[in-house]
Amino acid sequence: MKDKIDTVENAKANFLAAIKDTPSNSLKKDAFLRLIANKGAVIGLIIISLLILVAFIGPYITPYDFLLQNLEIRNQWISWAHPFGTDDLGRDILSRVIYGARTAVILSVSITIISFLIGIVVGSIGAYVGGKVDAFIVWFIDLTMSIPSLLLVIVLNTSLKPPLMRWMETQYLETKNTVFRETIWVDFVLVFGCLALIKWPKAARIIRAQILSIRNKNYVVAARAAGVTTFGILRRYIIPNAMGPVIVLFSAILGEAMVLESAFSFLGVGVRPPMPSWGNMISDGLRVWHLYPHILAAPAAVLAIITMAFSFLGDGLNDALNPRQWE
Amino acid sequence: MWKYIGNRLLLWIPTVLVVLLVVYALAFYGAGDPIKLIFLRAPGDVAYNPERIEAIREAAGLNRPFLVQFWNYLLHLVQGDFGNSLISGRRVGNMIAHAFPITLQLGLAATVFLAILGTALGVIAALNHNRWLDNVISAFAMGVWGVPVFVSGPLLMMFFVKGLDIMDVPYGWHGLFDSMVILPLLVLAITPMALIIRQARSAVLEVLSEDYIRTARSKGIPNIQIVVRHMMKSVLIPVVSQLGLLIINMLNNAVLIETVFGIPGLGQLAVTSITTSDYPVILALVFIGSTVVVTVNLLVDIVFPLLDPRALSKKETKEV
Amino acid sequence: MKAILEVKNLETTFKQRKSIIHAVNGVSFSLRKGEMLGVVGESGCGKSVSMLSIVNLLPPAATIENGQIFFDGQDIRKMNKRNMQHIRGNKIGMIFQDPMTSLNPLMKISAQIPEALIYHKKLSKSQALERSTELLELVGFSNARELLNEYPHQLSGGMQQRVMIAMALTCDPQVLICDEPTTALDVTIQAQIVELIKDLHVKLDSSIILITHDLGLIAGMVDRVIVMYSGFFVEEALVDDLYNDPRHPYTIGLLKSIPKLREQEVTRLASIEGSPPDLLEKPQFCPFAPRCRYSVERCWRKNPVLTIVPEKDNNPTHKAACWVDTRNGVQK
Repeated sequence: MKDKIDTVENAKANFLAAIKDTPSNSLKKDAFLRLIANKGAVIGLIIISLLILVAFIGPYITPYDFLLQNLEIRNQWISWAHPFGTDDLGRDILSRVIYGARTAVILSVSITIISFLIGIVVGSIGAYVGGKVDAFIVWFIDLTMSIPSLLLVIVLNTSLKPPLMRWMETQYLETKNTVFRETIWVDFVLVFGCLALIKWPKAARIIRAQILSIRNKNYVVAARAAGVTTFGILRRYIIPNAMGPVIVLFSAILGEAMVLESAFSFLGVGVRPPMPSWGNMISDGLRVWHLYPHILAAPAAVLAIITMAFSFLGDGLNDALNPRQWE
Repeated sequence: MWKYIGNRLLLWIPTVLVVLLVVYALAFYGAGDPIKLIFLRAPGDVAYNPERIEAIREAAGLNRPFLVQFWNYLLHLVQGDFGNSLISGRRVGNMIAHAFPITLQLGLAATVFLAILGTALGVIAALNHNRWLDNVISAFAMGVWGVPVFVSGPLLMMFFVKGLDIMDVPYGWHGLFDSMVILPLLVLAITPMALIIRQARSAVLEVLSEDYIRTARSKGIPNIQIVVRHMMKSVLIPVVSQLGLLIINMLNNAVLIETVFGIPGLGQLAVTSITTSDYPVILALVFIGSTVVVTVNLLVDIVFPLLDPRALSKKETKEV
Repeated sequence: MKAILEVKNLETTFKQRKSIIHAVNGVSFSLRKGEMLGVVGESGCGKSVSMLSIVNLLPPAATIENGQIFFDGQDIRKMNKRNMQHIRGNKIGMIFQDPMTSLNPLMKISAQIPEALIYHKKLSKSQALERSTELLELVGFSNARELLNEYPHQLSGGMQQRVMIAMALTCDPQVLICDEPTTALDVTIQAQIVELIKDLHVKLDSSIILITHDLGLIAGMVDRVIVMYSGFFVEEALVDDLYNDPRHPYTIGLLKSIPKLREQEVTRLASIEGSPPDLLEKPQFCPFAPRCRYSVERCWRKNPVLTIVPEKDNNPTHKAACWVDTRNGVQK
């Protein structure tokens, strides 16, 4: 009998050892690995990082000042001196594209952050307070999303601009501070404000939905029954679980903000020339494209690549953070 | 069912009212006096006579309180009178009547096109999951998705006209069945189509793993029948709800497309009226815009229960 | 009696990420006409997979690696898709576990039941609806006509399962495979469905395979039982033999662990220690060995244990896959 047990024990031990331990990763690591595996997402990430980098160091690497006009070399095709050619005022297009990156990034990042902040506040209030307040918030969000955003922003922009300009005037007259002379900032602030105003409902809606859905999950209800405080629930359950969709949302809004900003400058309502934005560069290029296609092609191609990068990245993030189970 | 529709309609009215109010207020307080705008725009504007301006303003009722003016506007609106353009003096109603059908035709054609083709491609992609056809279609959809129309429009235009030299510059509107309409239509349809493809594809993939598909297969009926009879409805549900959102986006894109291709529709009207601060036109456009949005949402809400019977009767169960 | 279904050496695997799961490891059995066969085992032992493999209704990640499946004399594994479709729903019917999700929520009952009839037997819509109404009455509905106009979500679980049963019977299949038909239902409804299946077995001509993890269910219903563990058949016997004279250690453990109502003393619930193996590797020794109290050295050596006959040579219906005679603990 002893013999038998010995052998059996041995064999059992061998058997258990033979079951290889699959290394388990943390959730974050898993998500990260999934993201990396997605080639499209990686390329997108690289492109966008490049974009942000260029936005930061842009002014220092532009071969020419983007405002410098040189009427002798107008509308030149691509060359070594001017890799993207020159526009109808003799300005180097590459430099303007680079500076346009700066405009795009600064504006979209700030818009996204602000609309996110507003969205988090409003969404949380709606989700936590509930009742009539929540119903009002939901109705309000639906309302803002019912208006075609382009129309709304343009109306806001054109309506608010004159008063703002007048205010700047009066401020200048009072304080003699040259800051108020820089009317470009009015443009910036207006575009930024209006776009943020459009985007925050989307963020608020999703955040509110996330909070509500997580709060109602069985394991959260169990935690509350066990006495976890609201703050604890927030910290331990809601924030970690909402992280996934929120990150995806952030990248989505960032991409959309960038597109919106260029759409508005395209229409002439956002960033105005001579300040370069890809949107207004495209609009300029549209007038002469049959003669000088490069003026149109450069900013358009760059914008196309960036939006595609956002698309792939967003999709990759979505797959990585919210995995489906049927692979 | 009718209660459902009635409810939605009731919500529609305050929504549009608030929108109008906001825009009217912006016009009123923001950009300044319409009369002054007219006069200051006239070439020379030498006749800057404050008393005369006041008289005109009084006559036009511009000194009355805000709400009274707004109410007046609403009254006219209900009768179909949108006022007159500040710039051209034409009746806004007429201007819109000329521009609206063009945009409508373009939008409808694009919607039909992208809905059908998008759904078909999405289903095909899902049924070929993980094989090359799926990868091609998915990559295409993903790549095209975020590209704005004022980027894809010009780029495609350059490609087809200059690069391949197969068509003339598409400009202006020559009717829906003219070959000039192909490019704008394509550009308008491509970006939303990408979304439909992805929606349809993921809907099919999800349905494929459902138990009732296994049951259907166990009955031995051919695959095509399974796809059409069992899967289509479930696929159409998310597609239809997305379609609502997309049509709303198309309103935005209409503005851009018409600028790029020079099409005299509502979009172009919007741009010109905005750059010239022609407020009656702007207001009318905003009104129409919101009406379209709300109508589309309403339609989607109506079609939804037709496709998914569970939406209406959430609490009906019978016991043995 | 001739065997209507004969399975030889069926092996099915699943691909999961980078590893392969051996769900069914070379099982063989036969089903005679008019017989009701029960297949029992715990969750994950491969009972559903093995039976689903017969009609090739597996999820895309699964592959049938090996085996021959003879239906009415023909090797259906070798059939092309079209012919296989003619068997499914027509000659072999299936009932699944969760009726709530197994019926299409967007289609009326009247659209779902006659489908197989219309396709296989080429009946017209009205003829098919007639037959469907008959079947609905057969499974116990008195208001069959009104029922046809309902959607699945408007019915209760028990009703849905009965609809599923009616649906499977439309073409008078020769074999009916019931995959855990009562698991998703409450106990009282379970009893109704059980009665129904028993009733149908008597009335109809079909052979029935009943898959379940509920030993109690099998007892009053089937003719013959197969016990599965970790992808292998471990015991096969007539139902009375199994309950009165179990031979495989796993079966013995299972039967012991059923709480009995009539015991005088209060004892702890017996359970089999350990947990079922991973299925990631095809074990080269008896899969039950780690948990078996009768195990000897031979069980651990590289001998996958096959089904053999214990000392009941006069009763070849009782087979157990074990090296040890569990009546006395002596190696055979």
